[in-house]
Amino acid sequence: MKVIIDFFSRGTFWDVLGIFFQYAVFLYGTSLLIAYGILAILSLASIRRYMKKNANVDYNIIIESPLAPGISVIAPAFNEGVTIISNVRSLLTFNYPKYEVILINDGSTDDTLEKLVNEFELVQVDFAYREKLLSKPVKRIFKSTNPAYDKLVVIDKVNGKSKADASNAGINVASYDYFLCTDVDCILDKDTLIKLIKPFMDEETSTVREINGDVQIQEDYKRVIATGATLRMVNSCEVDDGLILRVRPPRRILPRFQEMEYIRAFVLGKMGWDRINSVPNVSGGLGMFDKDIAIKAGGYDSLSLAEDMDLITRMGAFMTDNNKKYSVKYVPITLCWTEGPTTLKVFGRQRARWGRGLAQLMSTHRKILFNPRYGRMGLIVFPYHFFYELLAPIIEFLGILFYIYLIITRQINWPYAIILIVFVYTYSVMITTIALLWDQITFKYYKTWGETIGLCLMAFIEPFLYHPLIWFFALKGYFNFIIGKKHVWGNMQRQGFNAPKKRSTVKAG
Amino acid sequence: MPNILVVDDDDIMLKAIKNILNKDGFNVVTASDGKEAFELLEHTVYDIVITDLMLPHANGLEVVGKLRHNDANRNVGIIVVSSVGNEETITEAFRLGADDYLKKPIMAGELLMRIRKLIANKNSKTQFYTKKK
Amino acid sequence: MWNDLANLLFLAYEQFSLLPLFIEIALVLIFVAVMATLIAYGSILFRRYNSSVYQRRLAHLSPIIEDLITEQVLLNENLGKDIPVEEIEFDQHALSNKAFRKPAVRQIIIDTLIRYRKNFRGEVGELLRKLYIDMNLVEDSFSKLRTFKWETKIKALVELTNMDIPISDSMLLPLTNSQNPSLRAASRNAYIQLSKNEPFKFFDIATEPILPWDQMEMFKIITTTKDITIPNFSRWVSYSNNKSIVSFCLRLIAHYDQRTAIPSVIDLLQTKDHQFRAQAINCLGQLSAEIAEEKLVTIYTSQPLNCQIEILKAIGKISSGKHLEFLKNEFLYSSSFDIQMNAARAIIRHNSQQSRYIITDILENTNEENQTIVKHCQNPLIKYQ
Repeated sequence: MKVIIDFFSRGTFWDVLGIFFQYAVFLYGTSLLIAYGILAILSLASIRRYMKKNANVDYNIIIESPLAPGISVIAPAFNEGVTIISNVRSLLTFNYPKYEVILINDGSTDDTLEKLVNEFELVQVDFAYREKLLSKPVKRIFKSTNPAYDKLVVIDKVNGKSKADASNAGINVASYDYFLCTDVDCILDKDTLIKLIKPFMDEETSTVREINGDVQIQEDYKRVIATGATLRMVNSCEVDDGLILRVRPPRRILPRFQEMEYIRAFVLGKMGWDRINSVPNVSGGLGMFDKDIAIKAGGYDSLSLAEDMDLITRMGAFMTDNNKKYSVKYVPITLCWTEGPTTLKVFGRQRARWGRGLAQLMSTHRKILFNPRYGRMGLIVFPYHFFYELLAPIIEFLGILFYIYLIITRQINWPYAIILIVFVYTYSVMITTIALLWDQITFKYYKTWGETIGLCLMAFIEPFLYHPLIWFFALKGYFNFIIGKKHVWGNMQRQGFNAPKKRSTVKAG
Repeated sequence: MPNILVVDDDDIMLKAIKNILNKDGFNVVTASDGKEAFELLEHTVYDIVITDLMLPHANGLEVVGKLRHNDANRNVGIIVVSSVGNEETITEAFRLGADDYLKKPIMAGELLMRIRKLIANKNSKTQFYTKKK
Repeated sequence: MWNDLANLLFLAYEQFSLLPLFIEIALVLIFVAVMATLIAYGSILFRRYNSSVYQRRLAHLSPIIEDLITEQVLLNENLGKDIPVEEIEFDQHALSNKAFRKPAVRQIIIDTLIRYRKNFRGEVGELLRKLYIDMNLVEDSFSKLRTFKWETKIKALVELTNMDIPISDSMLLPLTNSQNPSLRAASRNAYIQLSKNEPFKFFDIATEPILPWDQMEMFKIITTTKDITIPNFSRWVSYSNNKSIVSFCLRLIAHYDQRTAIPSVIDLLQTKDHQFRAQAINCLGQLSAEIAEEKLVTIYTSQPLNCQIEILKAIGKISSGKHLEFLKNEFLYSSSFDIQMNAARAIIRHNSQQSRYIITDILENTNEENQTIVKHCQNPLIKYQ
């Protein structure tokens, strides 16, 4: 007993803990930085491969071809009356020969539905609706009497308070084998469908090997279950009725940081993961899915706050459970422009939701973490997200507390501390700059070098301004998750914006 | 001189057709998307409209449909020129009122021939129409 | 002076080596990070500079090239006068512009010519090809074919096939066995288009699957190339071991309506792979193979869902009317929504007196759910796939 009291009173315990913590944090930090470095290299390889492979592809072939697979575009809308017409028009003008647009009016309280009915000459049809995926009841289904709009299907359903619920209703109606999920207010490139369907159609399915002079084929069929592409901020772009005329990084500081963050998350993150077939998530703003697998995996979960990553996780788990190989592919070109929150209030709510969503996802699918049965998902994707996404804000928080403790007790070695801080700072600036460089390889979106460098320079102030915000809101999200505060998902968050209604349910991380 | 509106989002195609048709004595106006086409159609009545199917802002089928629903433009000759090969779309174009369909790549001579034929047809029709009035 | 510097460096190193390991690592990495950031900035600016130079050059040259093509090809005086295209001569002066000697400019000309060729065939298309040959751009393409980079070789193949320039077998055949799948596919497509003797050679020898995207390219080439002799594709359906080739041939059989292939497609129903079987059934439907109908109905109960659906579709397409009772029973008693939908569609598709009678019967005498399904299938506004 005395030993134990001594252990505490003499401070041995705190010393041991302190040393342990120091080492743990050091190890954690180093491994995180190494992981980023590896991702940067992988993503370069992945981008170059994509560019080489697709440099000479004639995308027109699919437009002419009767063999083009059909795609259902699914776009939920809630109180979008102001912009709905031009948004739907834009969805109806993709360069693709065989697709339908399923617009889900998720119980709007404004004139969204009326406007659609008038503009596109819609009539209610007897539709044999079968609920394959759970959603709130569908009230009516409309089709256009004008053959020019025969691609359009409009579903009127009871508000389900989530994008997941509305998307599920859309999937139930979808008649093609693939579906594209998007937000009705996202601006999509005209070639989105072509660019996203291509990876489904050219995944290497087998390897040729020569054994004893005999050519042998090893069936190594990897089914592509989903594809995604990069997103950018629409905030300061020049837009004409759903068509991007000129891309520009956002002028206001908050969305500008987000643009930088998105490029880093997509170009460096997703493309790097793509190279080793471990893409964790296809963003909710834009993603194409294999319908059959999505339905078998149970579709979107309306209770999840990270429903996009949740779906990919369940689709992947479904494939593994059935002993099938799969892959999720990413395309390094920006096909979707979304409005980034411009006020701290809305931004904070969005990030807190993401933080909470991540915590929720990790706890729902905890059986996957470190489970070798789930292959890369269990051993790479989940551990990475667990340690470097979920735990990062917490460890950072503890680290800061520890630093403060050291400062107060005057134990800190200032020169070393400063060297370490400078190290982390320069490294983070480097990673961001590299991401922006890789981004320039694929396509030079910004017209002037001033815009490009202007965005690059944000990396220098990010650690002081933007990072603490993300960190704070993530912690807030975790806190909400732990105390289980009831989260009003959809409508409240959408009402946060001023007219014209904009919302951002896109996850970049 | 007959007035022709050409709608296509490929600027090379627009310029090429304009050149070829100008040479043969047609007056050509071009539009590179559906919206531009609608604006032009509001002010002028054309003899022939040549349109692609996949266009920004509004697709070619919409252009065809709108032309046929508009009294001033009801008698316009419509030729759809597109690389879309799927049968349904082609039938749809005809159902909406297109007079002709040419699949890209086109033969310049063929296009000219069809334009002349349509104009000839149209002239006889308008005569009939004005008489009836 | 050098000694001083050496001394200084040595002192610095001594100081450095006294530091704890992690600080040493941190210092090294700070240096690396700063350098990497600077290099990244440098290359961003360098890339932007390069591309802006290229853009400016393109902006300057495009009108010149387009004018050249417009004057020499589109508005050529000799077009439409029944003069054979080979005999039409270009204005040599216009072709010998000094700017057209630079490789980068020549590349822009090739790209522009290809864009025009995508829009025009016939005389104009031929004349574009002649311009490509007369400006000796063919050589540019062939020299690209001789490089080591696979992506450059593909570019060469794309250019040559677009311009319909024959490539010797000795050059093309080795590429068709390349380890690189993209190059392999591109060279095979080129072979099908350019080889006049045996364009379908690969159907016999290809052992690895042909990807859907490549199938699409092949389909386009097969269906649009002039003077290609379309063989009887049932040959491969019967004898090929390559599933992707067989399934591709099924599509071609349906496209060319090769009804003589029906027996070999029926043989394919024996296969164990149900995806594959579904494709065969689909093909039979597209061929309206009435002789297969009996067999399809017989095997129906032992099939998995996707094959059953294909059988229902096929019976709808064949529309012999012999199996309307079967369809009606499937509609009324199946527990699967997809089966009911497809059975209803198949019945409606018959569009005969008897089928209309069945439909009226369903609409009048069955439950609301069945009625909605029928109404759904009847509605011309709802198009199915």
